[in-house]
Amino acid sequence: MRANVLARNPLAGAFLSEYFVLLLTVILFVALAPFAVGLASSESALNIVAYLIPLFIAGTGLTIVLITGGIDLSIPAVIALTSVVGARLMTGESSVISVAVGVGAMLGVGAAIGAFNGVLITALRLPAFMVTLASMLFFNGFAVWFTQSSNIGDLPANYLALGKQLPIALTAAVVIGVVFHLLLSRTIFGRWIYALGQNAVAAHISGVPVQRLTFATYVLSGFCAAIASVILTGRLETGSPVLGREMLLDVVGATVLGGTSLFGGRGRIYWTFFGVLFLTVLDTALNLMNLSQFAVTMSKGAVILFAAVIDATRRRFVAFA
Amino acid sequence: MRFNQLVFAYAMLFLIGCSKQQGDAPVAQSGEKPLTIGVSFETLQTEYWVAGFEAIKSELKKRNIQVLEATADQDASRQLQQIKNFITRKVDGIIMVPKDAKTCIPMIRAANEAKIPIALFNRPADKSDAKSVAVVADNTKLTQETVAYMIEQARKSGQKHKAMVILGDLGDINAIGRRDGFEAAVKGNEEIIEVVARVPSEWNQEKAQAGVVNALQANPDISFIFTSSDFLFPSIVSALKAANKYKKIGESGHVILGGFDGDATAYQMLVDGYLDATGVQDVYFEAEQSVQAVLDMRAGKEVPEMILDPGFVIHQGNLKEKAQRMWGANVKK
Repeated sequence: MRANVLARNPLAGAFLSEYFVLLLTVILFVALAPFAVGLASSESALNIVAYLIPLFIAGTGLTIVLITGGIDLSIPAVIALTSVVGARLMTGESSVISVAVGVGAMLGVGAAIGAFNGVLITALRLPAFMVTLASMLFFNGFAVWFTQSSNIGDLPANYLALGKQLPIALTAAVVIGVVFHLLLSRTIFGRWIYALGQNAVAAHISGVPVQRLTFATYVLSGFCAAIASVILTGRLETGSPVLGREMLLDVVGATVLGGTSLFGGRGRIYWTFFGVLFLTVLDTALNLMNLSQFAVTMSKGAVILFAAVIDATRRRFVAFA
Repeated sequence: MRFNQLVFAYAMLFLIGCSKQQGDAPVAQSGEKPLTIGVSFETLQTEYWVAGFEAIKSELKKRNIQVLEATADQDASRQLQQIKNFITRKVDGIIMVPKDAKTCIPMIRAANEAKIPIALFNRPADKSDAKSVAVVADNTKLTQETVAYMIEQARKSGQKHKAMVILGDLGDINAIGRRDGFEAAVKGNEEIIEVVARVPSEWNQEKAQAGVVNALQANPDISFIFTSSDFLFPSIVSALKAANKYKKIGESGHVILGGFDGDATAYQMLVDGYLDATGVQDVYFEAEQSVQAVLDMRAGKEVPEMILDPGFVIHQGNLKEKAQRMWGANVKK
């Protein structure tokens, strides 16, 4: 039936395809470009790419966690703590070694927080929502205490290049996207992840190492959030204990909007990219349209809700077909 | 046919949209087109920022300057994107309330590279190679003056007071200045004031309320409270009422209250006789100076890196005289 619909009507085909959110983004761009002065310009395209990279990288880690049926609310805390730890190690230094140590520490701390979450969720069988919510609060507070609320500047120039030079950040995002995509689509690890999200009990009976797999997904999520932090900290030239505090809704929103299920078992890395792209284009377009903040917030909410309703309708239709 | 017409109309609009960004920057001095200034606030969460935003827009309107507005929802990364969007739109100047003193440096640098003058409203940037002008209240001095007035009232009561201070987000240089002003004022007055609670609010009303409730439970005899921002007064008043300690000046059990900002709530509390004093930031002065600084920089004039708003302390003794300059009193109207 679905094949018939697709054959008969290309519009229906687009509506049913997994590229639907990308199509919505194109429609949004084309519809708003006449009103958002400068949206269809190379500078704006660069802004959009620069803004979406950290969101996408953090969203990539979250996607894997969501596919297993988990959730990671600690992403903002990982970003904040890794930002200040790395900045503290690098401030006032200029050598490549200090940058390597700083970035290594950031990635290590990110993975360690992920491991902390993973251990509590698997060993103590605590709900992921509670564990990651608690670690978000704890590590956010720890970051503020660690710096006594002050920001850390004077970072080495060769580190700042990681955030400021778009090709470097873009390369990191592409590599992470491709590696995680291949991991999910071409490896036994990926098949286990989907199996775990679809039915954890069945996956366990089938020999999937559920505990180790769950642990690994949280480590990967923490690691991805730390990479996002490396880029954000470099771009803002500052280690900040509140960095990324407002990012959680955007990361979760974009990932789910892309099509990854909050209930597990379904998700793709490129879906997350589409979701992030949609949110970033929407944000930039509304900003360029010179609407008041209240109008921007309400429009953003309305457009996201509209997109979510259309997408949910589409999924029901696909399932029915 | 209708579809073709629609496509044609859209194509025209699209071309206009694209061509505008190619952007011949408007020229105000020639009188042909007004200038455009981008105004980016990190938040509009409190009355003070809304009043500042409106004061800047009103000042720009008065000078026939167009406004592009943006608010970053307390997200420095988003604010950087917004500043870059302003640059994409080739604005003639930028006025910004940054999230903090450091994360704004790449934003200022981006404006510098695009040769767009930039002024910081109410929050200065740290020293760096990035060039901007900051128009800021003298937080430390104004707080010190406000708390000194409160201490004077405490001294008149003839008894020693236990004090609570509600701190702001200590990542915000203004909050740090107000904390330092408070500490400087109480230092040397230990025979009158004993600070028993320093409540962190992170500029969050719920956190402030929880902190004040806890502090009042731990120290029921607190009789002197200074808040780093007037917007936290509803939380404080609620906690004081719950503890049956919200009394007018002159009534037995009155808690000496002081604040900073000069918002509408503080004005009403002054009028009703509950608030002893508040340090008022002169929003209109700061807005006018920010706009003027951008225009002066654009004209190539020398502008100091920091323009200080002296502000003033308003209290029961000078309320009638000073109320006209208190932005919160005007918001109320």
